[in-house]
Amino acid sequence: MNGIWLVALPLLGAFLLPIVYRQHTIVGYWTGPFILLINFAIALGLWHGIANGPQIIAMGGFSAPLGIIFYVDKLALLFVIAVVLGTLVLWLGKERGKVQEETLLLLIVAGGCGLALSGDLFNIYVFYEIVALASYGLAASKGSGAGYGASLRFLILGALGSSLLLLGIALIYAVTGTLNLAHLAELAPQMLNGSTGLVAFALILIGLGVKAEVFPVNTWVPEVYATAPARVSALLGGIVSKLALLVVLRLLVLIYDDTSAYLLLLNLGVLGVLTGELAALRATDLRQVLAYSSIGQLGLVAIAFSIPGSAGVIAGIALALHHALVKPALFMLTPAWGGHLKRLVGAAQVSMPGALLFLVLALSLIGIPPLPGFWAKFLLVTGALGTTENVAWYQMAIAVVLIATVIKTAYFMRIARLMFQGQSREKPVSAPHSRELAPALTLVGLLLVSVLTVGPISKSLEAVASEASDRKAYIKNTLPVWDKSFPALSVK
Amino acid sequence: MNLRDISGLIFIIGLGLLLGAVLKTLAYDNILTGAVGTAILNNAATEVGTANIVTSVLLAYRGLDTLGELTVLFVAATAAGLVLGQRRPEAVHDPDAGFILRSAADLLSPFLILVGIYIILHGHLTPGGGFQGGAILAAAFFVPILASPASPFNHKVSSLVEGLAGAAFIIIGLIALFDKGYFLAPLLGTGEVGQLFSAGSLPLLYLAVGLKVGAELAGLLARLHETEASD
Amino acid sequence: MESVMTVQETALVYLLSYCGAIGLILLGIFAMTMYQHLIRIILGLMLLEAGVNLFLITVGFRANAVAPILVEAQTSAAMVDPIPQALVLTAIVIGVGVQALALALVIKTYKAYGTLDTKELAQKIAEESGTHVIDDIPVSLPVPVPSTRQMVEEKSA
Repeated sequence: MNGIWLVALPLLGAFLLPIVYRQHTIVGYWTGPFILLINFAIALGLWHGIANGPQIIAMGGFSAPLGIIFYVDKLALLFVIAVVLGTLVLWLGKERGKVQEETLLLLIVAGGCGLALSGDLFNIYVFYEIVALASYGLAASKGSGAGYGASLRFLILGALGSSLLLLGIALIYAVTGTLNLAHLAELAPQMLNGSTGLVAFALILIGLGVKAEVFPVNTWVPEVYATAPARVSALLGGIVSKLALLVVLRLLVLIYDDTSAYLLLLNLGVLGVLTGELAALRATDLRQVLAYSSIGQLGLVAIAFSIPGSAGVIAGIALALHHALVKPALFMLTPAWGGHLKRLVGAAQVSMPGALLFLVLALSLIGIPPLPGFWAKFLLVTGALGTTENVAWYQMAIAVVLIATVIKTAYFMRIARLMFQGQSREKPVSAPHSRELAPALTLVGLLLVSVLTVGPISKSLEAVASEASDRKAYIKNTLPVWDKSFPALSVK
Repeated sequence: MNLRDISGLIFIIGLGLLLGAVLKTLAYDNILTGAVGTAILNNAATEVGTANIVTSVLLAYRGLDTLGELTVLFVAATAAGLVLGQRRPEAVHDPDAGFILRSAADLLSPFLILVGIYIILHGHLTPGGGFQGGAILAAAFFVPILASPASPFNHKVSSLVEGLAGAAFIIIGLIALFDKGYFLAPLLGTGEVGQLFSAGSLPLLYLAVGLKVGAELAGLLARLHETEASD
Repeated sequence: MESVMTVQETALVYLLSYCGAIGLILLGIFAMTMYQHLIRIILGLMLLEAGVNLFLITVGFRANAVAPILVEAQTSAAMVDPIPQALVLTAIVIGVGVQALALALVIKTYKAYGTLDTKELAQKIAEESGTHVIDDIPVSLPVPVPSTRQMVEEKSA
């Protein structure tokens, strides 16, 4: 099976969806989930296919540095599966007849898969733009004035970021004359690990950081997540944001190994954790609390990815996957529970299942032992303790992570207490609709399954991380015929 | 001056200093920095067979980027459609631009279509190609609307064309996947460089690109225009 | 090729072009962060994109070289790097998409609030959602005030 199907199929579906809808509404409604199911099956098939080593796909048959390649390794596939499965779960109980929204969802899946798989810097930019534009559209899809305003601010910040991303890529091309990640990894020690390369990294980090909710460019997060439909917030905050961090991880491992780029990401991550959690403590709307808490969680992932070696990668993947299960489920509870937190008084009496779901998810997010959130944070702390260079920085990061956990406990327990209090005197909130509970329940089910299978999961995550942090293997797999006499590969 | 202005200024000054420092490290000599670019210049004529080497890069070496680019336009058109919504039928139109402009627009559009198609079909030989030709095609359908705003634009046809053209691009790529084992590999041989019928399947891809870009831009412009007129 | 560029001339072309690109980039970011008018912000975005594209095309520049098009199928003279040209074409088209969507959102925002000033906009949006703005940062009021817009929406729903 060829990994290009993962991108080509949802794209084909998205292009044809409006035409199908015009012919037959029912067929149109089921086209999207059907394509995602096939994509999921393909991804699972590929997972078995690459057990012995990654699959390298040369687009158009042009070998590595000349053409674009897809690098299908376990790390990329893991995120592809997360995107496809996440979108599929969020499709449960979706309203019918929204052809443009469904088209954009398929396009986000196609772009997200491409972002995870691509091994070419400019190609990554193109897929990033697909994901970005689709999320601006989806963020405004509720049709409220505040939604348009928030989406516009998101777009302006995002467009600024992606222009800087392109500038960073242009700088890298100016220095090295190539865009292929493996070729760049080969050239990086001589050409990119100086000041110019680091400036390019900083520009790329700002660009990708808009989606990844990295510290200075995440001001759009609370506005958009509070005004967008819950499904969109769940998709953007839970899943799409990690893809941008995945690209950052690839660049760090392949190109900026042994540089201070790690420290840059570490510090931005620490600032993100601090600002996100402190703002969540002050926020008075459940959706905003969740938005700020997602900034904090992505900061944790950034800290994890900034730990060199496979220990950091495994912690980052665990945190990212855990957050991808928990945060969408939490967002799916919010449509009924929006507005001021005080309205939540007595919510448990109105809907006990909803309140219990919230409690389980919040406990996992805080990191209470049997739940997977604990293991993810545990991996992060042990990974940070295991560093050998810049130990002081990583110790500071551990301290911040622990403080952030305390803050997180404070605000989640405050909300839980409000919910389980007696009946409020004001008009109580309504119970979450079963449409919204269906995806949340599915995700909690997956979370509980992962509690029971912590052993096998951690074993396979270790394999993923050790493969992903192996820079030499990436180069060797992508550029198998390394011939210095070939003009394309010899640099002036 | 509030907090936002100050942080913005600091950001701009910092970025300026960084870029200024980087400027010193870039190459200023005669040598082509792009080693990959040199290889493509040497290989394109034999491997792909286009006289316009930029077309080789766009459709063969970096064909996936072009598919992504088409998708970005499609995303923008879909999202704009979602945001702007449907036009209300009772909305008032802008006044007509008068007889002279209307006749000129009617005269102009067939020529624009002709030029657009010419540029699309010669994209592998001369400067130009699907995007440029597509933009001209879009103008051919949008100019009459500018001249007489009440004239109808058929969104059904435009969305049909853009969907089918986009699907055609992917299907050509998938045929290559089955035939040669690589997505978007050039098909049908290279032919004789410089001839109209050369470069294999690349002109077909460019035709799909041109139709899609034309339909998409025209639809997008018409939708923006309609929304403006509806209040 | 009648006139051949010297090394100094080549360096000057590079320098001017790079400086122009960086100038456009900084101007664009200045407009995007300092202005409060939405249309000006989008114009700033266009400047920024133009600057990045100019930077990218300069990277592919080569002295005494021609456009990468084979005349009569002959590789006659040195040609410029074709990759940045293809990248810039892609980047321009992507820029068009972003701008179109931005303008669509501006139209809808203007229809909803009747202003293009970002500060007034933030104020109005904050009032609507029961918060008020202090130094551009929305701060929640102690008790949510349902706005007329929300009530109308609830009635119609």
